[in-house]
Amino acid sequence: MKISINWLKEYVNLQNVTSEEIISKLNMCGLEVEDEVNQNEIYKDFIVAYVKEKKKHPNADKLSLCKVDTGKEELEVICGAPNVDAGQKVVFAPVGTLIPKGNFRITKAKIRGIESSGMICAEDELELGDDHSGIMILDDSLAQGTPITKALKLDDVLLEIAITPNRPDALSHIGVARDLAALFNVELEIPRIILNESSTNIDTLASVEIDDLINCPRYSAKVLTGVNVKESPEWLKKRLTNLGLRPINNIVDVTNYIMYETGQPLHAFDLDKLKSKKIIVKSTKSETSFITLDSKERKLQPGTLMICDDQEPVAIAGIMGGENSEISNSTKNILIESAYFNTSSIRKTSKTLGLSTDASYRFERGIDPEGTLNSAERAAHLISELSGGEVAKGFIDVYPNKIERKLADLRFSRLEKILGYIIEGEAVYAILSKLGFEIKYQSDEKLTCAIPTFRPDIEREIDLIEEIARINGYENIPTVNKINILLGEKKDESKFTDELRNIATSLGFFEMINNPLQSEKTASLIGNKISVLNPQSADMAYLRTSLIPGALSVVSKNINVGEKDMSLFEIGNVFSKRGTEVDIKSFTDFYEQQKLLLLITGRSSNKGWNSSEKFYNFYDIKSFVESFLAKISLDNVLEDSYYHGDDRFFDLYFTKNYLKSVIGKGGRLKKEILKHFDIDYSVFCFEFDIDVLKKIPLKSKRYLEPLKYPKVTRDFAFVFDSSVNYEEVLTFIRKSGSKLLKSVSLFDLFENESIGANRKSMAFTLEFFSVERTLNEDEVEKEFLGLINSITKKFDAKLRGN
Amino acid sequence: MLSERIQIISSEFGIDISKVKDLKDLENLRLKYLSRNGIIPLLFEDLKSASKEEKPLLGKSLNELRNYATNQFDSLKENLEISSSAKEDKIDLTLPGIIKTLGSKHLLTQTLDEIKSIFKGLGFSILEGPELESDYNNFEALNFPGDHPARDMQDTFFINKEFLLRTHTSPVQIRVMSSQKPPVRAIMPGRVYRNEAVSSRSYCMFHQVEGLYVDTDVTFAELKGTLVSFAQQFYGEGLNYRFRPSYFPFTEPSAEMDITCYLCHGKGCKVCKQTGWLEILGCGMVDPNVFGYVNYDSEKYTGYAFGMGIERTAMLKYGITDIRVFFENDIRFLKQF
Ligand SMILES: [Zn+2]
Repeated sequence: MKISINWLKEYVNLQNVTSEEIISKLNMCGLEVEDEVNQNEIYKDFIVAYVKEKKKHPNADKLSLCKVDTGKEELEVICGAPNVDAGQKVVFAPVGTLIPKGNFRITKAKIRGIESSGMICAEDELELGDDHSGIMILDDSLAQGTPITKALKLDDVLLEIAITPNRPDALSHIGVARDLAALFNVELEIPRIILNESSTNIDTLASVEIDDLINCPRYSAKVLTGVNVKESPEWLKKRLTNLGLRPINNIVDVTNYIMYETGQPLHAFDLDKLKSKKIIVKSTKSETSFITLDSKERKLQPGTLMICDDQEPVAIAGIMGGENSEISNSTKNILIESAYFNTSSIRKTSKTLGLSTDASYRFERGIDPEGTLNSAERAAHLISELSGGEVAKGFIDVYPNKIERKLADLRFSRLEKILGYIIEGEAVYAILSKLGFEIKYQSDEKLTCAIPTFRPDIEREIDLIEEIARINGYENIPTVNKINILLGEKKDESKFTDELRNIATSLGFFEMINNPLQSEKTASLIGNKISVLNPQSADMAYLRTSLIPGALSVVSKNINVGEKDMSLFEIGNVFSKRGTEVDIKSFTDFYEQQKLLLLITGRSSNKGWNSSEKFYNFYDIKSFVESFLAKISLDNVLEDSYYHGDDRFFDLYFTKNYLKSVIGKGGRLKKEILKHFDIDYSVFCFEFDIDVLKKIPLKSKRYLEPLKYPKVTRDFAFVFDSSVNYEEVLTFIRKSGSKLLKSVSLFDLFENESIGANRKSMAFTLEFFSVERTLNEDEVEKEFLGLINSITKKFDAKLRGN
Repeated sequence: MLSERIQIISSEFGIDISKVKDLKDLENLRLKYLSRNGIIPLLFEDLKSASKEEKPLLGKSLNELRNYATNQFDSLKENLEISSSAKEDKIDLTLPGIIKTLGSKHLLTQTLDEIKSIFKGLGFSILEGPELESDYNNFEALNFPGDHPARDMQDTFFINKEFLLRTHTSPVQIRVMSSQKPPVRAIMPGRVYRNEAVSSRSYCMFHQVEGLYVDTDVTFAELKGTLVSFAQQFYGEGLNYRFRPSYFPFTEPSAEMDITCYLCHGKGCKVCKQTGWLEILGCGMVDPNVFGYVNYDSEKYTGYAFGMGIERTAMLKYGITDIRVFFENDIRFLKQF
């Protein structure tokens, strides 16, 4: 919200305090200053100048050539405005001036062949308004050479303050001034009103009735007769334009002015347009259509709080008035509404209508229910001064159930327990009093205070502690330099995934982080997708059910920029409902699982002077998976299954199983999936379920003494029928071997015509050793020959090599 | 029997010699088969005990084996020697080696790791919670009343009326306190979602680290001390800091912590919006209402909580100006860190 420092100073005596000090104090009390416009700084170079002479530019029809007197010198200036003329006093920007709009500096420049030494300015170029139809024409009495800051009283500092939702009281100049009064320990001075009322009693002119007291606990009103609706005086217009508001007329401008002064939103009705001159506050019973004063037709839900006259609605309570009762130039008699509405009622209507106004913003946060009448009177006073209208005698104030000030206790011991230091009783007293709290009782241990009604955020002791801490300054709270550390159990729930990340990076993988929000198409590939009720776009309307689609988008994007070789991994959560028709009502209706994805594509090694180009293949993803599992000691715990065929994602794939259930799956991605992502290259990936992986009990690691006795190795090669697979032979050898056979590995594999059609050769190295003794050649030889025999028989294989 | 072994050894020799790559391998092959105690000379020993009838035939095939092995050996030896001596003399030592690429963790993970290790040193546990949360844990139990404007502070992606994508890591506070009695001292990192238009400054998801400490004598002064210690370890010693009052429904008093802008050293620049300060985190004393929701006695216990955005922290530290960079996963970006 915008705040003017000059305006603030009307309520607190801070004449000798700089705007920097005020800004710094505001920042340090919770009213964060987000932006600052110092008019003295911005307009320092602009001056009043006199247009002495105006000629047509010889080379351009629409440009004028002016002789301008700046008080010091006469300059030739080119001006494009249609309204420039000799004899005017204008705003002049000499060479070197920085123009606020567009942030550019005036230089000497030739325009159509003639040099121009400065610029005559329009309102919008100074950011004083939107008008660009012509230059600003100033009062004749101003002397040329006068700085514009003086001539136009542009000497304010305007602040943009971020008001947190708990501080509705600070949505006004008096509210901010109250904090400053406490911060600088000065008095808050609220203007007193001396009303000059006519002899006509207000009750004879209008009446108010509240039908829905829950949503409208209080409605105050004042009436003025014989007003003259016209433009507001300069001072008022400037107050409003400084805050970014558009002046409308002297009635509406005053209501806005008072709202920015006290925080109370006001609404002025044309009294003669109210049937029976009556206001009834009630909620709609059925859907209603209503035209607001911005000429838009609004559909109102049943239960919307409305301000009505004897026959029909005239305003949406607390949000916006209606076109039917709007102030016009011919308005003579007005009723000023100053009400207190239920916060959630206004918020609900504002949300439903998608209509937020300065008024609704304040009402939904909570205004001061005690302040309605005072604001109405303040507005009546000002309108009567500016419009010549008469204030009717008395006021209307329907307020059957008074909202009482609440009481709260503060124990000084508690203040110290929370903040960690002692604030003296007098200081506490001073702060609370300055903030408008009424101290009802005070002892050495505690005080009791009445909470002002303009602070709906304060109810409890802790709220008072915050007020005291904030005004006394957080900088005064000590910063301890030692802490106690608990010696109890320490948990690290991220330890396992951290370990997985370490392994992945040591294998050469790069970590990616993808957006879990995806399109319907990719989320439909697997699982029961969960949709977002209010997505930003169709591309992000569902939660991912797998890490694969997100990773493929990354592959595709990288290929597009020429990066085709990738080994990537991601650890992230996927989401799935427990059934397609399930409605999520509890945490048991869906799964949120943590997954690990490993993905490779492109080359595993580049062509170099001593290396050849190699591309990733199915066996590479398999070996990465094996390395991974070996690192977490799960290499001999899980079982593999292999598939040729059609999966949602893969055409060749394998799974890792634990006790018959699949805990990971991967292989070569199908062409049609890749096509969806515009990928023309082979991509291999594997996805693990981390939650399950984490739960597999690990065998604790034990030290094994390095082998003291020599290993004996033997090699053999067989020709098999091509239907025999590696795994079968391996399992058979392992099963047939004795305890001495410690390892079997495949070192050669080939198929070609030299060994016959439908034949393949596999060569193995066998390793024999014992941890207890040296083996003798004979026992190894015997077992080796035995194995040769049984393999030959079992697979109808032929020993090679002779 | 012997004839069978001759056959097998012949087969093994063939396989072994095919694997020889250099002179060292070749020497091992010689030791295994041809040296005095090698397999082939030993076969000749066995020949002595063969029967008279078998001897000539076995002798012949043994000789064939020895000749075959010796010839193969000699010719391979010659080849290897020529190439190796020629190489040794002229080898170009300036040729490049083959670079093995190491992978790396995402910059956000690296930043989080650093934050985690600092808080581990300060005695904090590390706990996690789900991203798809209940409205109760994400808002209600954190003292965001149903129709309160405070909810506007966090634009939410809803799944339905009761479930949503968590907007902050604070619901993990509720989960932790609901499941254990004080003392609690933990940080809770994780992914959060906000329904904000994607731009260089905001993304629909990002990461936070939440912190919580509840015990019998936790004060705001200790909160300040702990966070100052963190900031000095993370951003470097000697920085200036300030705590400003702020508002979060689940803490009171609440604060935001700023540190001196280390780009301009407090003079004011574009990154700090001319203020000289950078906001790094939000914090405060746990609101007694929150203790009420998790059945902690707020008279007995006090606590503090804090939260910081990891993206923002990394952006400040590494000079990244567009948050989307983190989630595009351009391999050229990933390889930089
Ligand atoms: Zn800076």
